Amino acid sequence: MANERIDLPQGTLDLLILRTLSLGPQHGWAISERVQQVSSEVLQIQQGSLYPALHRLERRGWIKAKWGTSENNRRAKYYDLTASGKKQLVVETDSWLKLTAAVTQILESI
Amino acid sequence: MLSDLRFRFRALFHRKEMETELDQELHFHFDHAVEKYERAGMTRDEAVRRTRVTFGGHEQIKENCREAHGIRFLETFLQDIHFALRAYRKSPVFFLIAAVTVALGIGASAAVFSLVNAVLLKPLPYPNASRIVMPWRHGPIGSVYGSDDFPWAPTDFSLIRQTQQVYQHLAAFKKDEFNLTGSAGSEMLAPELLEGVRASDGFFPALGVSPILGRAIDSDDDQPGHEHVVVLSYTLWKSRFSADNGVLGRVIHLNGFPDTVLGVMPQGFAFPTPEGMPASIDVPRKTQLWVPLALPVTSVQGASDLEIIGELKPGVSFDQAVDDLQAFDRRIVEKYPNVKGWYSSVVPLQQQMVTGTRRPLLLLLGAVCVVLLIACTNVAGLMLNRSLGRRKEFTLRGALGARRGRLVRQLMTESMMLALTGGILGVAIAEASLFLGKLFGPASLPQLQKAGLDLRVLAFALGITLIAGLLFGLAPALGASRMNMVEALKEGGQRSGGSASAPRIRNALLVSQVALALVLVTSAGLLVRTFYQMLRSNSGFDATHVVTFELPLPNSKYSDTDRMAQLYSQVLLRIQSIPGIQSAGCASTVAMGGPTDSTVIRIPGRVVQPGAQIPFADYLFVSPRYFASIGAPLQSGRDIAGSDTLTSVPVAIINSAMARKYWPGENPIGKQVGVGSKRYPLRTIVGVVPDIKQVSLREVPGPTMFVPYTQNEIKVWPNMQSMQFAVRAQTNPDSIAASVRQAIQQVDPELPLANFVPLTSIVDTSMSADRFSMLLLAAFGVLALVLAAIGMYGVISWSVLQRTPEIGIRIALGASRRRIFAMVLAQGGRLVSAGLVIGLIAAFVVTRLMTSFLYHVQPTDPVTFTTVSLLIMAVALLASYLPARKAMKIDPLIALRCE
Repeated sequence: MANERIDLPQGTLDLLILRTLSLGPQHGWAISERVQQVSSEVLQIQQGSLYPALHRLERRGWIKAKWGTSENNRRAKYYDLTASGKKQLVVETDSWLKLTAAVTQILESI
Repeated sequence: MLSDLRFRFRALFHRKEMETELDQELHFHFDHAVEKYERAGMTRDEAVRRTRVTFGGHEQIKENCREAHGIRFLETFLQDIHFALRAYRKSPVFFLIAAVTVALGIGASAAVFSLVNAVLLKPLPYPNASRIVMPWRHGPIGSVYGSDDFPWAPTDFSLIRQTQQVYQHLAAFKKDEFNLTGSAGSEMLAPELLEGVRASDGFFPALGVSPILGRAIDSDDDQPGHEHVVVLSYTLWKSRFSADNGVLGRVIHLNGFPDTVLGVMPQGFAFPTPEGMPASIDVPRKTQLWVPLALPVTSVQGASDLEIIGELKPGVSFDQAVDDLQAFDRRIVEKYPNVKGWYSSVVPLQQQMVTGTRRPLLLLLGAVCVVLLIACTNVAGLMLNRSLGRRKEFTLRGALGARRGRLVRQLMTESMMLALTGGILGVAIAEASLFLGKLFGPASLPQLQKAGLDLRVLAFALGITLIAGLLFGLAPALGASRMNMVEALKEGGQRSGGSASAPRIRNALLVSQVALALVLVTSAGLLVRTFYQMLRSNSGFDATHVVTFELPLPNSKYSDTDRMAQLYSQVLLRIQSIPGIQSAGCASTVAMGGPTDSTVIRIPGRVVQPGAQIPFADYLFVSPRYFASIGAPLQSGRDIAGSDTLTSVPVAIINSAMARKYWPGENPIGKQVGVGSKRYPLRTIVGVVPDIKQVSLREVPGPTMFVPYTQNEIKVWPNMQSMQFAVRAQTNPDSIAASVRQAIQQVDPELPLANFVPLTSIVDTSMSADRFSMLLLAAFGVLALVLAAIGMYGVISWSVLQRTPEIGIRIALGASRRRIFAMVLAQGGRLVSAGLVIGLIAAFVVTRLMTSFLYHVQPTDPVTFTTVSLLIMAVALLASYLPARKAMKIDPLIALRCE
């Protein structure tokens, strides 16, 4: 499993976090679990990058944090998309799709 | 954007809260991860271990999160300040010494800069200051007149006024003295001699200043026959007319004529002021009133005694003004061929106002910068020693992961904090020294009173504070950054060494300190020598018990020179009969009484070769016994006598400079000399007197001839309207003031007696500016010496401390105490010698720039150079003596135990 893991470029991590949060407020652990599950264990977010990224996104005002109670009744910090975060998600998704389409096109044509 | 700020704000000021939240958040994640591994079948311990491995360093994540908060820079900065404060709290004595050293340097610099600011940088208090210019006349190149600025003849002014195309307003003015008599309201007031100017109608508009009361002189007033009006200065209005608004339209008596008061000028307006004019120009010491010039329309050239001031039209450049004057030069020669060779120049008023005071101030600014530099090198040395003493701390922090840049940054923060503290203290010192300067500074230094701490001075202080901080922060930072951690750790507790570069930096600091101090002290020494030479110089007179005063005669009553001469002789007669008075005399200008008239002279039988210098001499009227009164005994021949009158043989007395110049190796007595014009008779020389100084002790008196005031056949000049008197008392002259006044009143009760001052105090005042620069520079020199001594002491004693084990071993191996002592002294001596050599070379170059400040002292005066070098050597010896003694007394046992 460790071998298949792919390190994420910084911008991509932000995109994944925003996308995951678009489904609803989540805490950090859930975000990392969810990315891992959905990507069929290929993408694994390191805590070392997840939390700085979350704090950075919060500073930019794309997500906001709120303390709540988790499934197992523990205090947890929940992150939620803000209005500007939703806009940012659209913009970043769009540019990501364009980028990957273009890269794929090149890779397949040559 | 706003949310970003709010977030950073929270991160900064709710740091604790955010830290706890971050902790909780990470713990939450951690627990979930452990749980997940447990669910996958691991034991609890295994799961925890596994999680730890994947999780990475907890602290590392936190650190990265903090970085994401975007206040990292500020946090580090606060932390550095915190560290610095802690470090300084631990060694308050070090901090105090360093801060006071910096404060002295910055304080002195800020004080001098505030002077420069007030004198050179602040705009003149005239609205049009930048467009005001003053044209001047100059004698033919190579002539006796040199390049001095000369005033204009009335015909010159008329022609300029008619033909000029560049000035919006143009005016001429000249100094005059006014005897103000009469009543204020009902009471009679004592006559008062006032200095003022006669000015043409464009004068006030050119300066752009209007009266606060009434009106200024207009073109109708400026006509012959209409000139009996006057504009008062604010001070005169207050002192003489108690600031009464009803003064307008009132008639006051000036020189016996009734003049109507037109207006009152605003407070502080006193143009022209002496500091704003070339030294050769006679202007009022304090302009109290302005009356119309009212030039008659004439084609006779007349005396050149007019100063001209003009305001350029907006949009007209300075170069155009120069061109305009060159056009004038061509036109005037066509009209008056005798002025061939004379040429004109023009100077912006702003520039002219500062020429006289600029150089001494720049000298002081340079000196004070050197003091600041020495202070900085001193503190740099202290900081370097201290940072070496903290090597263990830095090594430890380096080992714990602090990057080198981080350590340098912390050291720089410490330096900056020290600099800022010094800066704040320095501003206080500057304020205090300005206060003292205003109290004791010379009145002749213009605008000293206006010097103060404004924004520009504060900005300057901040600037030099930051530069100083950088300068003395650099040394320890360099030392620290070059420090080899591994070496430092290996050396462990050993005290020897430092980084390899530290001693080199320290030695370089010491050498430059010695060099700087040498340059400064040498410059100060030259000024002290100059002052001493001035005091010692032969002034040509003896000022003890001599008192001088002026006696201006009202024009209305005394317009005829014979009448004037008659009055003066009556006054002299009365004064001489006062008991306690040894002798009394008068002259058109007494010794140290100011510049004199001068004239082209003719000596029968001498033909002036074309291109050769035309003979000239200063020309004064004197009374019998004048030379005895000022203590200038005749070197040969006889004094002027009462019998020398218009009907007897015309005679003259010359000074020895004139004898040397025109009759070298001959006896001038019996020779003949006269003024240039052949209309006037030749005079027979009857006596020779010493060279008497007229303006300053610095001057070298030129050829001067003295003519009996009773033989004034020229009548128009020198002006006899106001003669100066010199009275020699048998004892302290203060007591005779009243009886002298009384004697004069007996002759004419309306005569004012002005400027009654002892000759000694005139001499004193004439030297005040020199004394001020000298004292200030000497003070800086002493400061530099003290700082350098402290610096040397610091460096040598530190090196002794570091070499304690080595010295211990030397002693243990049998080195004699005396040798150890000599060794330490030699170490200091080598460094000081290097500093002396560099300093001497620098001083040779620098003192050359000081030539204009010196009098009878060469800029490379060997006495000063030797004395100062010896002095610095002595100070160095003293500074190394104490550490050397300490080294000598090192107990080898204790020294070795330190290992």
